[in-house]
Amino acid sequence: MRIIIGQYLPADSWIHKLDPRAKLIALILLIATTFVIGNLYTMIGLLVFTIILVQSSKIPLSRFIKGIESLVFLLFFTVIFQMLFNKNGTLLFSTDLNLTWLNLGIIVILIVGYNLVKKMIKRRFIFFLATVALMVYSLTFDMGGLIKVFNISIYTDAVKFASFLVTRILILVSLSSLLTLTTKPTELNNGLESVLKPFKLIKVPTEEISMMISIALRFIPTLLDEANKIIKAQASRGVDFKEGTLRQKIVQIIALLIPMFIISFKRADDLANAMEARSYFPGKPRSKLVDFKFRFVDYAVLTFAIALIPSVILLAI
Amino acid sequence: MGIKFKNVNYKYPGIGESLFALTDVSLSIEPKGEFIAIVGHTGSGKSTLIQHMNALLIPNSGDIDVFGNIVKKGEKLTPIRKRVGMVFQFPEYQLFEETVEKDIMFGPLNFGLSKEEAREKAKDVIKVVGLDESYLSRSPFNLSGGEMRRVAIAGILAMEPEILVLDEPTVGLDPQGQKSIMDLFLSLHKKFNKTIILVTHNMDVVSEYANRVIVMKKSKLVFDGLPVDLFGDDELLQSYDLDIPKLMKIMRSINSEFNSKLNDTVFNLDDVVSELKKL
Ligand SMILES: Nc1ncnc2c1ncn2[C@@H]1O[C@H](COP(=O)(O)OP(=O)(O)OP(=O)(O)O)[C@@H](O)[C@H]1O
Ligand SMILES: [Mg+2]
Repeated sequence: MRIIIGQYLPADSWIHKLDPRAKLIALILLIATTFVIGNLYTMIGLLVFTIILVQSSKIPLSRFIKGIESLVFLLFFTVIFQMLFNKNGTLLFSTDLNLTWLNLGIIVILIVGYNLVKKMIKRRFIFFLATVALMVYSLTFDMGGLIKVFNISIYTDAVKFASFLVTRILILVSLSSLLTLTTKPTELNNGLESVLKPFKLIKVPTEEISMMISIALRFIPTLLDEANKIIKAQASRGVDFKEGTLRQKIVQIIALLIPMFIISFKRADDLANAMEARSYFPGKPRSKLVDFKFRFVDYAVLTFAIALIPSVILLAI
Repeated sequence: MGIKFKNVNYKYPGIGESLFALTDVSLSIEPKGEFIAIVGHTGSGKSTLIQHMNALLIPNSGDIDVFGNIVKKGEKLTPIRKRVGMVFQFPEYQLFEETVEKDIMFGPLNFGLSKEEAREKAKDVIKVVGLDESYLSRSPFNLSGGEMRRVAIAGILAMEPEILVLDEPTVGLDPQGQKSIMDLFLSLHKKFNKTIILVTHNMDVVSEYANRVIVMKKSKLVFDGLPVDLFGDDELLQSYDLDIPKLMKIMRSINSEFNSKLNDTVFNLDDVVSELKKL
């Protein structure tokens, strides 16, 4: 198991070349914008703009889709919630759904079937939607011992609001993926440090915080590797991590965690020594290997991002 | 029959096109009497190979048979792990119990021994690895590195595996500690006729202890035979990027210094002495 943290994908695009500080601030402003926007059409406009950004980053679309796929269930339940509970606006559509013993059987079979085959399916979300659609469709039949009739009615506001929320989530996910996919972890960290600088005035140790973040990011893959080794070593001693009673599970976790703690402390100790040997001293000013310089594009991007919020507000009036 | 590999291929799961870590490996290992050294360049697939021997990794294709158990997804794999004991690099990191005794008992208990039996085992093996019974009540975390490693090895020996597999068991120990650990394996091999398989980068270990050597190169098994046949063939050694043992180097300098034609494929001091007598 080799995990890449920060999922940076090198490519030759203007977004990759942006100054990380400008990129980070612009992202924060864009995210803030999505919370200022109050109507659906402006939100869709911003989504279109985000898609153009994504296109110009020269990163394969599949990487973004992967990010969105991990959130599909959130999206799905957002939609369902709105459909069920938002009853404002005019009635759009209404129908009766019949829960019968036969339908119930079909639904149980569908759920069991879904869980059986979902591991073999790649585009799991589409499969999930298809299963749900089949379940709902089966409810339109009224044969086989009626239990209860549900009335489902969908109002215009529910559709509007659901689309609004889904669009916002899509924008947020794409933008944050865009940032992490086009910025090296070290650059991101430097950017973060600069953005946090104002907090130094109120005695927040910003440099140490960003050093801690970058060390943590650096060591996550290493520690996962170590965990993998320990799991194998304990498996060799007869631990079956896949099964066991609750009591055995607890022992298994202890057999993994204690060695992990010991390794982490040892690593931390070694790292601290290595840093001290190179004269790292918390709180002392440090120079950077690469000094970032704002170029014209960076100013342009920042100006644009700053101008976005007032213009969105103006648009709403 | 002990361990049998037939056309085994393995690739680590990962993003993008990673290379095969094992390509078409076939071998067969007897359950008794072998002392096998596995050598090869770093990244050649040695650790990957031995992890298949106790089913920690499952081949992508090909067959592995360990004492009649097939190594496959979905099969029960723990019985294999009892019969083929695996000691990892830096095994001291697997220790976690409060006392040495409890830690040694962990494996046997997992494999279904009673507390009493496991305690007896702990008493036996602590002596086998060259520590005395007073260690049993100590915390494993207050021991020296070499002692911790002995305790970890004792934890595996307590499971009474029929075959013992070790991944660079002497790495990070002082020369004295290295030698005594190696002698421990040799005595297990001699006394109980156990098959020992070990990965090493040290050619002196190969020549001194092994009666069979396996060479891995770029995920392929390229040599499987007697140490004499490997070290006696300069071309082979060169193509595998391997060095010769120290004693052989000494013998070669003697030959060039004295213009003699002594046999330079010597593996121990007795060989050296009997060759030198010919001078
Ligand atoms: N957990 C892993 N995930 C992905 N690839 C791996 C993993 N472990 C090893 N590899 C790759 O598989 C190949 C073989 O690795 P392996 O650890 O078997 O080499 P080795 O011969 O034991 O090397 P060494 O002498 O350095 O221990 C290497 O190219 C390595 O990069
Ligand atoms: Mg290795």
